[in-house]
Amino acid sequence: MKESLVHRLRQELQEMVHEQAEYRSLLFQITIRDLLLRYKQTVMGVGWAVFMPLVNAVVFWVIFTKVTQLDTGGVPYLVFAFCGLLAWNFLASSLRFSAICLTSNTTLVTKVYFPREIFPFSAVLVGLVDFAVASTVMIALMAFYGIGVSWTLVLLPVVFVTHVAFTAACALILAMGNLFYRDVKYIFEIVLTVWMFATSVVYPVSHVAGRLGAFLALNPMTAIIDAYRDVLLYQQVPAAVPFGSAMLASFGLFGVSWLVFHRAEFAFAENI
Amino acid sequence: MTAHRVSFDHVWKQFVRGERHTSLRDLIPATTRKLWSRQPADELKQGAFWALQDVSFRVEPGEALAIIGPNGAGKSTVLKLLTRILRPTRGQCHTHGRLGALIEVAAGFHPDLTGRENIFLQGAIMGMKRAEIIRKFDEIVAFAGTGNELETPVKRYSSGMNARLGFSIAAHLDPDVLIIDEILSVGDASFQAKCLERMRKLVTTGVPLVFVSHNLPAVLQLCTRVIVLDRGRVVFDGDPAAGVREYQRAPWASAAHDETGRSTSGIRITGVQLVNHHGCPTDCFRTNESMTVRIDYYASQPIERPHFSVEIVRGDGTNCAAVNTAMDRCDLGLVSGAGSIEYVIPRLPLLPGCYLLSIGILDSACVEHQDFRECAYPFSVTSDTLERGLVYMEHRWHHRPGSTGGRRREDESSPIRLVAAS
Repeated sequence: MKESLVHRLRQELQEMVHEQAEYRSLLFQITIRDLLLRYKQTVMGVGWAVFMPLVNAVVFWVIFTKVTQLDTGGVPYLVFAFCGLLAWNFLASSLRFSAICLTSNTTLVTKVYFPREIFPFSAVLVGLVDFAVASTVMIALMAFYGIGVSWTLVLLPVVFVTHVAFTAACALILAMGNLFYRDVKYIFEIVLTVWMFATSVVYPVSHVAGRLGAFLALNPMTAIIDAYRDVLLYQQVPAAVPFGSAMLASFGLFGVSWLVFHRAEFAFAENI
Repeated sequence: MTAHRVSFDHVWKQFVRGERHTSLRDLIPATTRKLWSRQPADELKQGAFWALQDVSFRVEPGEALAIIGPNGAGKSTVLKLLTRILRPTRGQCHTHGRLGALIEVAAGFHPDLTGRENIFLQGAIMGMKRAEIIRKFDEIVAFAGTGNELETPVKRYSSGMNARLGFSIAAHLDPDVLIIDEILSVGDASFQAKCLERMRKLVTTGVPLVFVSHNLPAVLQLCTRVIVLDRGRVVFDGDPAAGVREYQRAPWASAAHDETGRSTSGIRITGVQLVNHHGCPTDCFRTNESMTVRIDYYASQPIERPHFSVEIVRGDGTNCAAVNTAMDRCDLGLVSGAGSIEYVIPRLPLLPGCYLLSIGILDSACVEHQDFRECAYPFSVTSDTLERGLVYMEHRWHHRPGSTGGRRREDESSPIRLVAAS
């Protein structure tokens, strides 16, 4: 009984991945579409991807270096903040976009069949393109402040994949949630603001003491952003327990949310 | 590959009528109420209704199935189940292979993208690989007849061009199963003919076709089988002409006729019967045999010199004959009460196909219809002849061996040898 359940689950997962592979052309085309639309009739084009986190970083740089002092462990604050904002913006922009990705494609959802995961996945891919573009500024900043890299750079892909898995997991849940209940989009905006300050984006959360500190340490995004800083700026291996558990949680959540999404997608056309 | 690429096996589909909870504010009180009152779980939930009830059919390769029925009969639900957008509540439905669904062929178009960008997008939505689109790109553009506008955003396209481009992409899909929803209203007459031709070619190569339409002439022209749906149930499954007739005869059809096409003045058609040379009512005739159209009427008040009209169109809309008693200088005088008139064709010249008969009663000046049943009476024609075209023409062949065009023979008027005659 138990074995057959595992077997069925594996079959379903295989089917999901297979279907996704079959429709990879469509994932690509939808991503291209969204990228084209995003920067059509804009003057700065993809420059916005750089501009936004840079402005934020500068604002926080003014606050945390001119107004009050903050200990960032010897790393210049601007680099520290930009690294956090870069990673955070990827999550935030992907999720903002994925929350509305199904509801803004009503005709496609109700008229044509293809795996619906394509919409949230393409939202993540679009976010990824911005992430890649803005990363060049990160490299420039590191060069400017003379921060070198060490062997720990080989761990960067691991951190990156975890980050993407966590983002995709949230994207699937949000897209699905907003399809059934349109409040999700509004609630999420509030959550995003609170969440950002509960994460090590512009200050190290490890500085928060007591129960609140312990609670905030549960946030996988903190572990992920800290891990980015560890491998890039502090040249050390990320702390095993927080990052390891964040990694497990991200992949677990991704698997579960994809499965739930896949099972629910047949109700989408009726409920949108 | 299984023999049946399309199968519906006792399919039931339930929908919930009315507003659903799309906001959490509504859901929370509704859920608590449900928890408190502990309603028994009914078979049919509150406000739910069956859109389809026990629908079964299979489509053989090379078969063209039309699904017709009044609005709300469940036709679109069948399509959405076939295209896997919906899942049946009960029963099984399967379509195997690549699905060519000509439903909303321009659904994936984004107005801000150019024609070229949209071809790639829509192609991918329909399941084509990028390499495949690149390979067929020129063909698609040529078929749609859009040349210079490829770099223009489709929001600047005319709606006809939009649809043409969409259809053209769909037409190059090479599907295993073809599903069409009322798309024959796309484009101008020549483009429509091109589309029909393309679909017929696919059917002859063995691709099963499912066609949902209100366009009865197109149904008759394209399909080999008809299913009539009414309120979610199959009420007819079989020959197209008989199916269309069933559909026309049903109460919803006559209700529609009551509202349109008839003035309130006295005379109306009470019945129309097609009779073959044996004197039997039928809707299947043979070329060169007689066909009689018997029209029963009833005039509730005396009417001076009414005229009767008979029109025959072929399934594809080709007008074959249109005549009325005025043209034939038939004076019916003062008509009152019940009566009938017969339109007799001693030798039906029509070649095999599906045809639609329209019957009308006009006033004495032939200006206003007193009653008009447009395309209400379908019939089919069969024949042993191999001739093609619209009508059978009485003919002979004359062959003169050894003669050339420039040299005239004295006995030209008499045939040298009769090769074939009828």
